[in-house]
Amino acid sequence: MADAFRCALPKEYYRQFIERDVRPDGRELGEFRPTVLNIGSISTAEGSAIVKLGNTSVICGVKAELAEPKAETPQEGYLVPNVELSALCSSQFRPGPPGEQAQVLSQLMVNIIKNFHSVPLEDLCVVAGKLVWVLYIDLICLDYGGNLIDACVLALTAALKNTALPSISVEEETQKINADITKHNMLQLACTPISASFAIFDNTILLVDPTSEEEALSTGTVTVVTDGEKIFEMDKSGGSQITSEQRQMCFRRAFQRHREGIKLIEDTMSSVDR
Amino acid sequence: MWFAGFSSTSNMETKQLARRVVMPGEKINALKNCADSSKIILGPGLRLEDEDICVAKSGILRFREPNVYWVDSHQTRYVPVKGETVIGIITQKVGDTFRVDIGGSEQASLSFLSFEGATKRNRPDVKVGDIVYCRLLVANKDMEPEVVCIDGQGRSSGMGVIRNGGFLVRTSLSLVRKILNADCVLMKCLGNKIPFEAAVGMNGRVWVKARSNKETIAVANAILASEYMTNEEIKNMCQRLADALDGF
Amino acid sequence: MEISDGSCSTASMSCTLGDLSQPDGSASLTHGNTQVAAAVYGPCEVRLSKEFPDRATIEVIHKPKVGLPRCEDKLRETLLRSIFETAALTALHPRSSIQIIIQEIEDQGGLLATSINAACLALLDASISMKFLVAAVTAKVKHDGSVLLLPQEGSTEKDSLGIITFVFREPDKSVVCSFTSVGTLSLQQRNQCLSLCQEACDTVFKFYRECLENKFSKIK
Repeated sequence: MADAFRCALPKEYYRQFIERDVRPDGRELGEFRPTVLNIGSISTAEGSAIVKLGNTSVICGVKAELAEPKAETPQEGYLVPNVELSALCSSQFRPGPPGEQAQVLSQLMVNIIKNFHSVPLEDLCVVAGKLVWVLYIDLICLDYGGNLIDACVLALTAALKNTALPSISVEEETQKINADITKHNMLQLACTPISASFAIFDNTILLVDPTSEEEALSTGTVTVVTDGEKIFEMDKSGGSQITSEQRQMCFRRAFQRHREGIKLIEDTMSSVDR
Repeated sequence: MWFAGFSSTSNMETKQLARRVVMPGEKINALKNCADSSKIILGPGLRLEDEDICVAKSGILRFREPNVYWVDSHQTRYVPVKGETVIGIITQKVGDTFRVDIGGSEQASLSFLSFEGATKRNRPDVKVGDIVYCRLLVANKDMEPEVVCIDGQGRSSGMGVIRNGGFLVRTSLSLVRKILNADCVLMKCLGNKIPFEAAVGMNGRVWVKARSNKETIAVANAILASEYMTNEEIKNMCQRLADALDGF
Repeated sequence: MEISDGSCSTASMSCTLGDLSQPDGSASLTHGNTQVAAAVYGPCEVRLSKEFPDRATIEVIHKPKVGLPRCEDKLRETLLRSIFETAALTALHPRSSIQIIIQEIEDQGGLLATSINAACLALLDASISMKFLVAAVTAKVKHDGSVLLLPQEGSTEKDSLGIITFVFREPDKSVVCSFTSVGTLSLQQRNQCLSLCQEACDTVFKFYRECLENKFSKIK
C-alpha cells in the first residue's frame, strides 16, 4: 500500500514525512547517510579510496606518470580528474561517450582542485621545465544512490591524501630517469576540501545528502565545498524561495561536515597504518 | 485582430498606464483600480498570479474600452490560437490526413474531408508542397493543432489551396496584425497603384500575386518595408513604388 | 545603445537586439571588454526523447571562442538551464523546446554573468513568456581583501583570491543561482560580495528596460 502510494504520488508521500521533520529512510532533514571510507585498496595505483555514502559508491584511483610540463607552467605538475558514470551504476546512463552529468562532475572536480589549491603543484615538479608528475585521477561511480558530488569530493580528497609518489633521480650525463619504488614520498595536501550538498524540496525545504529519489523530486540543489575556512559554492536553486538564513545554515552544516570528514579520513588512515 | 484604439473618454490613469513598455515579472495592480466595470479582461502577455496581475511578455501595454488590457509584443514565432486564419504548407500525407506546417512548435493536421465538396469518393486535389489558407479548429497547448478549409456551414469562404503561382513572404506577427487593422492604409493604397491578390495568415505569412513577377516582388517588398511606417510614410512609399514601376 | 553607470564599480554595458534574422530572438551584449552573442529559438519542435508532457524543454548550448566545447562549457550550460527553467513560463508550451545558444566572442572576465544576461535579453527579444527577469553580477576579491565588480577596465580574472557570480531575480533580489568560479572565499567575504552584487543588479535591470524601450520606440 505504501509502495503503491510512493510510486503514484511521490511528492505527497515525501510531504507526509517531511511535515514530521523526518525522511522515509528514517533520517532527519539535516542528517548525512552513514559514510564508509576505505583507503589504499588498489595496489596498482599510487593512491586510492572507496567511499560508500549510503547506497552511493564511488571509487577513486590516482595514477602518476612522468611527462613534460605545460608550456605556461614549467615549474608545476598537473592533475587530470575524470568522473565516469557508466551504465553499471544506474539505468539512466547508457554506454558511450560521457554524458552531460559526467562532464559536469569532471569539471567540478577540476574546479575544486584548482580553486582550493589542495595539491601544491610545485611539489609535483621533478626537473623544472623538463619533467613533472601528472596525476590522472579516475573517479568511477559503482552505484548511483544520489549525491554524487559529496561522494566524489570525499573520495578524491582521501585518495590524494593516500597518494605516494616514488622518488625520482635523473642522471646528469645520460639523462636517464631512475625511479626508486622502495622510497616513497607521500603527497602533502595544503588543505582538505569536503563538500555538503542539499536538495531543495517544495521550494522551501532543504534536505542534506539527497538520495536519487529525493534528487528527482527536488526543485534545485545547493552544494558547498569547504576546507574549514573558505567556501566554494554552487547554488542552483532556481526560483526556489530559500531565505538567506537557510543559506547560512547550509554553510554551518558544511563546516560541520568538514570536521566529520577530516575525522573520518584520519581514523581510516591510522587504522590502515596499524 | 486587436484594435489599438483609444477612447477620448478613458480616464487619465489608464492612459498613463497603457502605452508604456512593460517587462516580465512586473506587477501592475493599479489596473484593478482603473476599470470602470467590476471585471477586467487580461489579454495575451498578462496573467493572474495569486491576486496579482503579472506581466509575462515584454512589450507595450495596450488598453481598449471598456476593460480589456493586453501586451503588444514583437514576436516572430507563431503560437496557434483557435479560430485564427493561417497560411500553412503541406509537408506530408499520412493516410487520410495531411500534416501542415503552420510555423508553430508542432505541425497541424488537416483532414481531406475538410475541403468544400469533399467526400470519400470526391477527394480534393491537394499535394505535398501546396500552400493552403485555412482556419485553426483546435489549438491549445496540450493538443496537436488541427486546421480546416471550410467554415461551420461547409462552405470554403475563400479558404483552400492557393494555386497559380504568387509569392509567399514571412513577416513578423505584429506586421500581420497591423496590415489587417482597419486603420492601416497599406492594402488599399498599394491596391490602387498596383492591382494584386493577397492572403494574409496570422502566423506571419503573406501570399501575394500581381500581374507580373516584377509587380509581385514590388508588392512583397512594400509589405515587408511597411513594418515600422506610419500611414503617411506608407502612402509616400506606394507613390514612389508606382512611379518606379511606370518608369521602366 | 549604451548606458554608463556613474559609479566606478560597473563597467559600461551595450547591447543590440534582434540583429540576427533566423533566430526568434537574439542579443549581442558587451560588458566592459567581454562580449557574448545569444540566440533563442522557440517554442519549437523537440526530440521525443527530450520532451516533457507538461512543460517546455530548455536546451542550452554554450560555445567557446576557439575549439570544441569542453567540460566547462557543459557546466555553464547546466547553470544556465537551471536558471531559465524556472525563469521562463515553461508550463505554457508543453512538448516543445526553447533553445538558447550562447557564443563567446571575447572573454575578459565575467563570462558566465555576461552569458546569463545575454540569454535573458535574447529571451526578451523573442517575447517568450517569463515569470521573472534575472540579472547576473560577478564580484572579485583581490589578495588585499578589496572587492570589485567584473568586468572592469584593467582587471581580469587573474590575481584574485576568489571570484563569485550571483544571479538575482526581480523584484526582491533573491538569489537564483550562485557559483564560485575561481578560488575560494571566507564566509564574510562571500557575504560582502553578495551585498555588493545586490546593489549592482539594479543597474542591469535598468539596462534591460532601456534596451527594450529602445527596441519598441521604433514600433510606437
